[in-house]
Amino acid sequence: MINKDLSITFLGVKFPNPFCLSSSPVGNCYDMCKKAYQVGWGGVVFKTIGPKSYFIDEVSPRFDKLNKENTPFVGFKNMEQIAEHTLEENLRDLRKLKEEFPNQVLIASIMGNDEQTWEDLARMVTEAGADMIEMNLSCPQMTSHAMGSDVGTNPELCKKYCQAVKRGSSLPMMAKMTPNITDMVPVALACLEGGADGIAAINTIKSICNIDLDKKIGLPIVDGKSSISGYSGKAVKPVALRFIQQMRQDKRLKDVQISGIGGIETWEDAAEFILVGSRTLQVTTAIMQYGYRIVEDLKNGLMHYMEEQHVEHLEELVGLANKNIIPAENLNRDYIVRPEFDLDACVHCGRCYISCYDGGHQAIVWDEVNRTPSVNKDKCVGCLLCGHVCPVSAISKGEITIKPGRKQDPKKIRL
Amino acid sequence: MDKKYLEEIEPGFSPLTIVEEASRCLLCLDAPCSKACPAGTNPDRFIRSVRFRNFKGAAEIVRENNALGAICARVCPTEKYCQKGCSRSGIDRPIDIGRIQRYITDFEENTKMKILASGKRNGKSVGIVGSGPAGLEAAYMLNKLGYDVTIYDKEKVAGGMLNFIPEYRLPNRVVVNEIKRLKDLGIKFELGVSVGVDLPLNELKSRHNAVILGVGYSYGKMLPAFEGNRNVILAVDLLKKIKARKGNVKLPENILVIGGGDVAMDVNTSLKLLDVNHVTDVVYEKFSEFKASKKELEGAQALGVTIIDGYVPEKVKGKTVTFKHREIDATIKVKADKIILAVGQRPDVTGLGVELVKGEVNEGTPYVTKDPKVFVAGDIANSKYDKTVVGSVRTGKEVALKVDEAIRSGRAK
Ligand SMILES: Cc1cc2nc3c(=O)[nH]c(=O)nc-3n(C[C@H](O)[C@H](O)[C@H](O)COP(=O)(O)OP(=O)(O)OC[C@H]3O[C@@H](n4cnc5c(N)ncnc54)[C@H](O)[C@@H]3O)c2cc1C
Ligand SMILES: Cc1cc2nc3c(=O)[nH]c(=O)nc-3n(C[C@H](O)[C@H](O)[C@H](O)COP(=O)(O)O)c2cc1C
Ligand code: SF4
Ligand code: SF4
Ligand code: SF4
Repeated sequence: MINKDLSITFLGVKFPNPFCLSSSPVGNCYDMCKKAYQVGWGGVVFKTIGPKSYFIDEVSPRFDKLNKENTPFVGFKNMEQIAEHTLEENLRDLRKLKEEFPNQVLIASIMGNDEQTWEDLARMVTEAGADMIEMNLSCPQMTSHAMGSDVGTNPELCKKYCQAVKRGSSLPMMAKMTPNITDMVPVALACLEGGADGIAAINTIKSICNIDLDKKIGLPIVDGKSSISGYSGKAVKPVALRFIQQMRQDKRLKDVQISGIGGIETWEDAAEFILVGSRTLQVTTAIMQYGYRIVEDLKNGLMHYMEEQHVEHLEELVGLANKNIIPAENLNRDYIVRPEFDLDACVHCGRCYISCYDGGHQAIVWDEVNRTPSVNKDKCVGCLLCGHVCPVSAISKGEITIKPGRKQDPKKIRL
Repeated sequence: MDKKYLEEIEPGFSPLTIVEEASRCLLCLDAPCSKACPAGTNPDRFIRSVRFRNFKGAAEIVRENNALGAICARVCPTEKYCQKGCSRSGIDRPIDIGRIQRYITDFEENTKMKILASGKRNGKSVGIVGSGPAGLEAAYMLNKLGYDVTIYDKEKVAGGMLNFIPEYRLPNRVVVNEIKRLKDLGIKFELGVSVGVDLPLNELKSRHNAVILGVGYSYGKMLPAFEGNRNVILAVDLLKKIKARKGNVKLPENILVIGGGDVAMDVNTSLKLLDVNHVTDVVYEKFSEFKASKKELEGAQALGVTIIDGYVPEKVKGKTVTFKHREIDATIKVKADKIILAVGQRPDVTGLGVELVKGEVNEGTPYVTKDPKVFVAGDIANSKYDKTVVGSVRTGKEVALKVDEAIRSGRAK
């Protein structure tokens, strides 16, 4: 079995591997975190610890999921707030974990409701032995507007609370961002100004997953009503990658250290987060669905990827895709690449024809006798929708045509 | 010759269908599939790797557990083992674990992965008699434990009965590749030497610290009434010849097969795929008590083999055999150009210093013999595992540990 060093340093702390539980029920208590460490997770972000004064009172049931065809958990919606255990219990668990697992990283997620509580919580988790602090500025379903994503969309408040945390602790600290905002950059900058050492992104996206058609109530139903609340899982990966890329694209944030979160399930997802600039990775929904054991394939798959890429240190992969994601106005618009059909692979379903007609440019010619597609070059605009719907990947990028009046060497175009 | 015999009868998965099949897996807690694999290959674990798109990791799991992983993927009677208790059956049908394993090992081969590795040399050596599944797996394990291993076989080609299993079920290239992986580890093969005949066992004992006998059930059984009949061929001899010649064997129009096990079905199906017009199989067992797997039986029938159940051969005269029904008063007479006897295989341990009881070496404890330096594995070992490829693989693993323990403790020198 392959064995490569997956360790990486993030905010000055060395992680045995980049995979961490993200703050949520998957890291809710001592027993859970212990099992996660034993199965091989590199770090744990403990369930967000709140101030003693804030009474946590959860609803039941509290989850819903989005399905598409035969795939459940395309996305996952939750109505949870922060830790249900008492402050004392949480601090005791942190202490015990650090004692027993000194080489794996323990991160305390905290959420105050004013400067004093942020500062106090920071001090308490530091005393309990945490290696790092994550500020939860981003839970979208808090019952208090002085907490969660209402704070995380306000740069001024974020900065003030970061300063408070830094007064309470000298541990490395990351601020966890909400995606319920148009541009994350101002908030991230404010946090860094307030003393944050790094950024964690993203928390959940405000959502309504499904509505019960008979009762006319969103799901899950809580005594005949429901609320907007956080969405996570595979479906949010594209949103998370985008926010991380946008931060790394900003000159002021280009070297910021990021912990990537949102829809990570496979080593391929993990590699994508690393390539857009994440140094560590956090997971919740995939663990809720499949269990801690997914880390085995996350780690092993990532090692094989490093081997294929001839990379000895994970660090070498961080941010390699950033420079290849550029503003839309800077893309080469001088050519068209048309589809090429592999008729040996084609199973003659006609899905390409349907999608090109109804969602494209009526450019596929369907031979009704042989039930075979071909392309009408005059009509085809090269959108390649057809390639995405083909069930057997029989459609690939074919011939390149330079648009009339443009000067380009088709051989130099990188497809 | 038609190339049907040379093509795998079961299509493999494509990159699309492998993901669909793996998605059907329920990713069980304490997975029944893994508990039922005689080789100890954890199917739940490699299916999970496929599910999470880690194909290389899946290949590592299969290969490190089973040096014959690509072979088992094709020939294991999975309906008796891993697929038997599959939780998915509670919804519709079990996961097609064999074919998932086949996809994974093909992926390993196509991407030229090198997974197996030798252990640190310990200066000791082991000789293995027989290059069947038991010998091959034992060799891999002992090489990993640091031993220099030499495999001896009376045949010129390594693989034992794997060279008898028809091409359409087990392509020769798969066997060749598995053996090559072992050669690459430094395991040596001395072929064309019959131990106990050409080479005395004592010579082998003086060359090595221990010897393992994995000589299998290498010979077809004869029935007294057919002895000396020029029209009779033993099933294993025919299957071996067809496979070695890639199907280029001259066969008559009308063949009678006698026997109802998997070997008989292999003969039936091979003959049909080679376009023999009339294949008639007369079987002692009734369909309700058939030994052959349902899948192989149905496969043969679908190809047009005439199968007659419940009859015993009574009289043989040249090309004509008369059968009597076991229970009712009925007689049939079949005249054919050739008669293939598929009535079982037998071991031969001449010159190997061991005694067989019911076809097995049985000293109370599995894998040992009266001689502290000599061990047994595979079909001739008295173990709790079936006489199948995967059963032999398991005995190969276990005998390797026994040998290692005996050499370390000084019982075998
Ligand atoms: C036609 C056929 C189809 C089968 N199909 C299946 C199947 O689909 N699935 C399945 O699980 N099992 C199948 N089996 C059974 C399976 O092949 C055997 O259980 C398995 O091969 C036994 O392994 P082994 O290592 O004990 O011995 P073998 O595979 O029998 O190997 C023994 C080797 O020892 C060599 N040898 C014998 N005597 C000497 C000597 N004195 N000196 C040197 N070498 C010697 C032989 O030449 C042979 O190569 C099939 C068997 C046959 C015949
Ligand atoms: C049930 C549930 C509870 C969560 N609780 C917290 C929390 O207490 N603190 C926090 O920072 N994030 C919390 N999150 C957000 C996750 O940590 C994570 O940012 C988000 O789910 C996206 O990652 P994923 O797609 O891997 O789940 C929670 C998510 C879920 C699904
Ligand atoms: S590339 Fe777009 S326009 Fe051209 S054939 Fe495909 S779907 Fe139609
Ligand atoms: S979608 Fe693919 S398989 Fe179907 S007709 Fe088009 S090319 Fe063929
Ligand atoms: S028993 Fe069946 S469903 Fe369960 S893990 Fe094994 S293959 Fe999957």
